[in-house]
Amino acid sequence: MDGYLISQIVNGLCLGLIYALIALGVAVIIGIVGFATFTQGEIVMIGAYSSYYVFLWSGNNLIYGMIASFMITWIIGMILYKVCYAKFFDSPEYISLICTIGFSMLLKNLAQIIFGAEKKPMLNIIENKIYHLGIIELSRVQLMVFITVIVMVIILSLLFTRTSWGLKLKAVSQNREAAALVGINVDKTAMIGNCIGCAIAGAAGTLIGIYYQSAYATMGATLSMKAFTSATLGGLTSVPLAALGGILIGVTENIGIAFSSASFRDIFSFGFLIIMLIFKPTGFGRKRGARA
Amino acid sequence: MRKKIAALLIMSLSLMSLAGCGAEDSAVPAPESTAQTKTADGSGNAEKTIKFGVIAPLTGTHAEYGQGFDAATQIAVEDINAAGGVNGYKLELECQDSAADAKTSSDIFTRYAEDDEIMAVIGDFTSSCCKANAPLTEEYGLVQISPTASDPSYASMSEYCFSVMYNQSTAAPWTAESVVGHFLGKSECAVMYLNTDWGITTNDYFLSGLDSAGIKLLGDESYTENETDFSSVISKLKATGADTLVILDQGNVPTIINQVKGSGWDCQIVSLGPGASDQILDLCGDNAEGLVIPCPSYITADNPDTSDFYKKFYDKNQCAPTDHSLCAYNAVQALTEAIKSIDGEVTRESIKDALKDVSYDGLAGHTQFNDDGGVSRDLLIIQVENGGYVVKEKYGYR
Repeated sequence: MDGYLISQIVNGLCLGLIYALIALGVAVIIGIVGFATFTQGEIVMIGAYSSYYVFLWSGNNLIYGMIASFMITWIIGMILYKVCYAKFFDSPEYISLICTIGFSMLLKNLAQIIFGAEKKPMLNIIENKIYHLGIIELSRVQLMVFITVIVMVIILSLLFTRTSWGLKLKAVSQNREAAALVGINVDKTAMIGNCIGCAIAGAAGTLIGIYYQSAYATMGATLSMKAFTSATLGGLTSVPLAALGGILIGVTENIGIAFSSASFRDIFSFGFLIIMLIFKPTGFGRKRGARA
Repeated sequence: MRKKIAALLIMSLSLMSLAGCGAEDSAVPAPESTAQTKTADGSGNAEKTIKFGVIAPLTGTHAEYGQGFDAATQIAVEDINAAGGVNGYKLELECQDSAADAKTSSDIFTRYAEDDEIMAVIGDFTSSCCKANAPLTEEYGLVQISPTASDPSYASMSEYCFSVMYNQSTAAPWTAESVVGHFLGKSECAVMYLNTDWGITTNDYFLSGLDSAGIKLLGDESYTENETDFSSVISKLKATGADTLVILDQGNVPTIINQVKGSGWDCQIVSLGPGASDQILDLCGDNAEGLVIPCPSYITADNPDTSDFYKKFYDKNQCAPTDHSLCAYNAVQALTEAIKSIDGEVTRESIKDALKDVSYDGLAGHTQFNDDGGVSRDLLIIQVENGGYVVKEKYGYR
């Protein structure tokens, strides 16, 4: 394998990790709330803007930026839950789905009105150091994204399997009525699950803003669709498999581009999804909707 | 209660469908729209007005330029009205956001065309949007004057289509020969271009320029307008060993520059399309150092010809104007000059006829439309040095 192809695979891995970051939140929300979401791209955007303004105030303090994006998108998650999910648990699923699409449009347009349509620079938050591992080149931000995805997957997996809080979330995701019968506050638990998914996307927004060195109102549009595709590949509700889906989509896109053109990027990702689902409708999961 | 709600819904739907029918009826354009006379202040004093519709990408990738259109056309109208208007008419504007989407742009154009008050349309920003609207200009008999469409095939699509921007059939080959070949002294380069009507045409003309200048093309890659991650394209072109990268785009240029520099590729970057954009300096910081841009004008606060425009624009938009904004101002000037020369009633048709013959010296230099509805403009070469733009070669360079 020549250096060029390896560099394209590394590019694909890095892009895939970006998709994976957002897909983690999608998988958590679908897993716990039980409804699909199309607002994650806009939550990412809100996360990026939150950290942008905190960086301006704090002099590029990464920790403050992360905390701000996490908290603000947690609050947005609460509002989103009340608007798009809380009233629709007994309604057909498409109602909340359309509601999330509408909510995403509202967030995007509000952001353009409040923050302006121009891109906000997020320069030099992290020093652009390049690490050379043989013929592989990785920037510091790419390494950060990689580590964040791994840490998030581990934390979320432990949360869902090893803590009583996680077991409550899992119970709500599996059977709301049964969870209510054993004394779990289903509404509150589902809302917390949604907030966790949104806050993960918010933190991802900070990293994506740093990675692409800008924040702007439409930055989540394409990413949202790719994140949903990644989660679909992972069986919709599995956190580690959603991350794997994101990485595979990123790598597939970049290998395709290496041999053709970037204009065909979406053909490779969605083509890969369609072929995968034809042969394995459950994605990488054993059963669609099952938590791995 | 449910019955009441159902009845209300039925009534609302009926009213909406009736309104829809009304809209359909009015969709038939009036045989001849004329400039309006209306009472503006309720005092009974009639004020004659001419209204222009502006179509601009106020949101999305090209928002910087669209907002520049909005501000610059407002400044032009304020200047002209403050000077007494034109032929006794005051000018009015209405601006709507196309987000650089061809379908949205055509919807807005149709809305303007069906509004008898609108006498001409200024816009859109991208050649693709302007070309999508070209058949509508013919259908409704309404002029579309684009400040920025530089696709050579646009202005000739209809006798109602005009552009005050230079034409890529001359600018792109000139960039290849004079900027890459002569100014930078390069014998080979790689190219990235936007996969749109404008990008494809500009790329074709640029490659023909490289060919005639004997400059070797090492790589030529396209990408879609909503692309955010350019790493794969950058790796591909970096692997060719090129030391010069030419970017044919506008709104994505800062993102591409940052990703090129972030990848560790130390190459000379040239960009045809963005003009002397403040967004590039803001978003790229040190990464923009050395960037070379050919553009028809560089507007500064200390240039006596454009300082007034610069200050007004800065007050409105909190950033320096690019040539694209100057062209938006010039589009209003061109329409004003056309109206000045009309004897008798100002109509959509008479504006179209008069535009063909305008010849004046405005902020953007001398403007006179050729038979195709386009103009010729000379180019400067500017470069980013110490965080600001510097004019390296003046008009008339080769």
